[in-house]
Amino acid sequence: MRKHLTWILPLAAVPVLWLLLHGMGTDKFTLPSPLEGAAAPDFRLETMDGDTVDLADLRGKAVVLNFWASWCIPCRQEHDVLKLADRTYDPEDAVVLGVVYQDTEQNARRFLAQLGGDWTHLLDPTQRTAIDFGVYGVPETFFIGPDGQVAHKKVGPVTWDLVRPTVDSLVAAARGDGADGATAGGAR
Amino acid sequence: MNGRTGVAARAAAALGLVLFAALAGAPAGAAQEPIGTRPAPSTGTALTDPEAERLDAEAAELSAQLRCPVCRNQSILESNAELSREMQALVHERLAAGDSPEEVKSYFVSRYGEWILLEPSRRGINLLVWGLPFVALLVGGAIAIRLLRRWSTSGPGNHDASSPVDTGLSAENEMWLQEALRDG
Repeated sequence: MRKHLTWILPLAAVPVLWLLLHGMGTDKFTLPSPLEGAAAPDFRLETMDGDTVDLADLRGKAVVLNFWASWCIPCRQEHDVLKLADRTYDPEDAVVLGVVYQDTEQNARRFLAQLGGDWTHLLDPTQRTAIDFGVYGVPETFFIGPDGQVAHKKVGPVTWDLVRPTVDSLVAAARGDGADGATAGGAR
Repeated sequence: MNGRTGVAARAAAALGLVLFAALAGAPAGAAQEPIGTRPAPSTGTALTDPEAERLDAEAAELSAQLRCPVCRNQSILESNAELSREMQALVHERLAAGDSPEEVKSYFVSRYGEWILLEPSRRGINLLVWGLPFVALLVGGAIAIRLLRRWSTSGPGNHDASSPVDTGLSAENEMWLQEALRDG
């Protein structure tokens, strides 16, 4: 029996050690989103300027949907990247949309006055849109393709190295499959 | 010297088995049982209406099974996080609108993934989480029983040269062990 134990115990330790090592290599706070590759949940939200934005109306364009708050430090870090994205892309190709998360409109306005950023910012006072997108903290950014599908979700601050190629490929898809995008938009 | 380390090694081996069984059992242990339902949440409707009471209880029961995305180890029923409060209100709303508890659960799973359920569903690969602890317990128990049986047959009372287990003790150490056992 002792002979068996000499290999049974180390063998039993293998899966435990594998799990521990696997856990060390992953960020336990980042969860995979079931929305990636699925249709983005539709929403109709009011902007800070009193207009209304319906996601379905943006079909055919790439959408960078960014959940943020003025109290969130990483949101400050990524703000310049979003500014750059807003400046870089033609609004006909790609739009940046902010969703103010668990924040007052007043604080959000102060944040924008301080750091700039005049793309459209939406209000989600009941957080239903955030829940619809499976948001669990800020910043979280969804890259939505012209077909209305979530191509990628980023938890934490975005970088230009992520935004540029992701949006570029979605814009290319929008130009290449404009007709399909419009059909998908009409179908929903 | 050999004898003492031999006994220690057996004790360590037995302890290792117990620990292994405990570790293997950890995943199912981590899936907490829903905490007892609390009184109706703040989103509840008038308590005098039995239908509303039933709805409140159902919403509370369901909320106890959903993980708070912010605090993670609490259900949205227990959590005071703003997001949990909204999720709780949403659970209530959806049930009131006629959704079944399963439909509400699958809505949250479709948004947050299976992770949102405090208790993993009992299908697919999740069955491993539910089954492995019992398998580990059975295997560990069988090994432990076998070991204990062998050790007991090679005990001081009935130990002889033809014992199936070689204790590896030298004559001197065997004497020392016998004395130690006698003296307690």
